[in-house]
Amino acid sequence: MEERMNQDQRSTEGRCGRFWNGMDLLKDVTGSKHFLPTGLEGVDTLLGGGLRQGQLTEVTGPSSSGKTQFCLHSASHVAAKHMGVVMYLDTSNSFSPSRIATIIDGTPGLFCQRGSQSTIFLPFFLPLSYGFDLQPKDVRLKNIMRSIICESVFDVFALSEVLHQLEVSLLNDKEKNGGSRICLLIIDSISSLLAPIIGGKYPQGRAMMISVAMILKKLADEHNLAVLVTNHMVSAGNGAVKPALGESWKAVPHVRLVISRDRGSNICTATVLKHTLLASGRTTKFVVPS
Amino acid sequence: MGSGENNPLGAQNAWDMLSDEQSQKHITTGSGDLNNILGGGIHCKEVTEIGGVPGVGKTQLGIQLAINVQIPMQYGGLGGKAVYVDTEGSFMVERVYQIAEGCISDILEHFPHSHEKSSSSNKQLQPEHFLADIYYFRICSYAEQIAAINYLEKFLGEHKDVRIVIIDSVTFHFRQDFDDLALRTRVLSELSLKLMKIAKAYNLAVVLLNQVTTKFTEGSFQLTLALGDSWSHSCTNRVILYWNGNERYAYLDKSPSLPVASAPYAVTGKGVRDVVSSNHKRVRVT
Repeated sequence: MEERMNQDQRSTEGRCGRFWNGMDLLKDVTGSKHFLPTGLEGVDTLLGGGLRQGQLTEVTGPSSSGKTQFCLHSASHVAAKHMGVVMYLDTSNSFSPSRIATIIDGTPGLFCQRGSQSTIFLPFFLPLSYGFDLQPKDVRLKNIMRSIICESVFDVFALSEVLHQLEVSLLNDKEKNGGSRICLLIIDSISSLLAPIIGGKYPQGRAMMISVAMILKKLADEHNLAVLVTNHMVSAGNGAVKPALGESWKAVPHVRLVISRDRGSNICTATVLKHTLLASGRTTKFVVPS
Repeated sequence: MGSGENNPLGAQNAWDMLSDEQSQKHITTGSGDLNNILGGGIHCKEVTEIGGVPGVGKTQLGIQLAINVQIPMQYGGLGGKAVYVDTEGSFMVERVYQIAEGCISDILEHFPHSHEKSSSSNKQLQPEHFLADIYYFRICSYAEQIAAINYLEKFLGEHKDVRIVIIDSVTFHFRQDFDDLALRTRVLSELSLKLMKIAKAYNLAVVLLNQVTTKFTEGSFQLTLALGDSWSHSCTNRVILYWNGNERYAYLDKSPSLPVASAPYAVTGKGVRDVVSSNHKRVRVT
C-alpha cells in the first residue's frame, strides 16, 4: 500500500507542471462535467440536475431506506438515456438485474405513481423511449442492459484491484478514443468494505480508506466519471443515527445525501447534508416506483 | 462495452445476469404464500436474514429449508445439500426426520405417478437420505463461529453440491460474551462480507437466523433485530416473523427486487406450510 501511496504522490508531482486558469476550468466543467439524471426527478432537482461527473456523491441512510434502489435507478436511467457505460460494484449481492429490467421497461408504476411531477418527467423521457421502440422491445432492453456492468467485490483489496484496473482500461480507452465510455461508477455499499478495517488501534485501515478515496476522486476528475457510493448509518447515541465511517471520511464526498423511508410505504425523504454548489439542508420527497 | 470485456473474471453485464437469474430455481419454504412474497422462495447467491421472537418458527423454517433444498430436480427442487451451523443447540434431529417425512409425503402427493415408474429415484425419497445430506456444525463460542465461517470457504470448495448454508443463529454467541462493541461491529461486518462472498462464489443461498431485541426509538420501545444498526445492512433480504393474534406471519422487510409484503404461514406436524384456509391442496393436517 505504501508503494501505491508513493505512486499517487509521484503522479500529483507530475501534474504540477500543468496549471489551469479559471477559463480552462470553466470550459472543462461546462464541456465535460455533466449532470447525470438519476430518473428520480425530485432528487435530480435537489442535486441541481443529478449526479455530477467529476464528483463523488454519497447516499447514506438506515437499512432498507432505499439506497440500493437509488443506485439501481441511477444505473438504469443513465444507461437507458445512452449516456455511457455504467460500472456497478456490488458488495451485498443486491444488484438485481430483474429490477433493472423493470425500471428500464418503464412499468406503468414508473409513470402513474409520480403524481403531479410526472408532467416534468415525461417530455424528455418519452421521445427517447419512442425512438427506441422502433427496435423490438427486448433488443432495446438487451442493448441497454449490456451497458451496465456489474462486479462483486467483497473486500477492500479487491476494490483497490478493480479500481486500478479500471484506471488502466480508462487510460487505454482514452488513447483509442473508441467505444462507449464509462460515465458512472457505483459502489453499493462502500461502507461494508471499509467498516471492517477502520477503528481499533491500527492506523493502516484508515490509510487504506483514504487511499480508496483518493483514487475515486482522481478517476472522477480525470475521466469524467460520476461516482456514486452508499454509506450506512450508525448510532450517534441517544437514539439518533449518523453516517458511518467517521470524521475523516466526512470530508471525502462532494455531495452527501441522506435518505429515509417511512416504514411500509415507498415514499422516501432525501436531505442534502453537503453540496458543492447548492445550499444544504434542503429536503424532498420521492417515490421509489414499485 | 470494451472495458467490460477487459475486466477480470467476475464482471458481468446486466443482460447476462438477467438470463442467469431467470434460469435460477428458488428454494421453496413449504408455504406457497411465503414463497409468493419472496419471489418464489429463498434465492441462491443472496443472503437472507430471518428474524423473530422466540417460538415463532425460525428454527422450524431453517430446518424446512435444509430439507427442501434436497428435493430432487425431477420433482422441481434443486437436488442440493445443506450446511447447518447450529450455535444454539436447537437442531432437533427427530424433528428433522419428521419434516423430511412430511416433505416426502407431499412430493408423492404432488407426483402420484412418477414414483411408480422409476424405483431408482424412489431411493432418494427416504428420510434417511435427506438426513444424510445435511452437514451439521455445532458451534459453542464466537471464536468457533468465526473459525467455522472461515473454514466454510474451503469446505464448500470440496462440496460443490451444497446449495444452502443456514446459520442458526448468527446472534447467540455475539450477544453473550462480547464487551467491546466496536470490535464486535468490525468482526460482524467482516463475517457478513465473507458470507456474501460464499453465496456468490458457490451459487448458494445463505440464511441467517437472528434474534430480536428491544430498541428505544421515538419515545417507545420497539422490537428490532439484534446486533445493531451496522449489522442491519449486512443482508440482501430480510424477513421478520411475527405473531398476529394466533397466526404466524412473515414480513419481507428488505429486498432489492421485491416490494415489502407480508403473508401468513403455519407450522404443522409436517413442517412449514400454508395456513389451511388459503390453500386446501397442500395442507392436510394429519
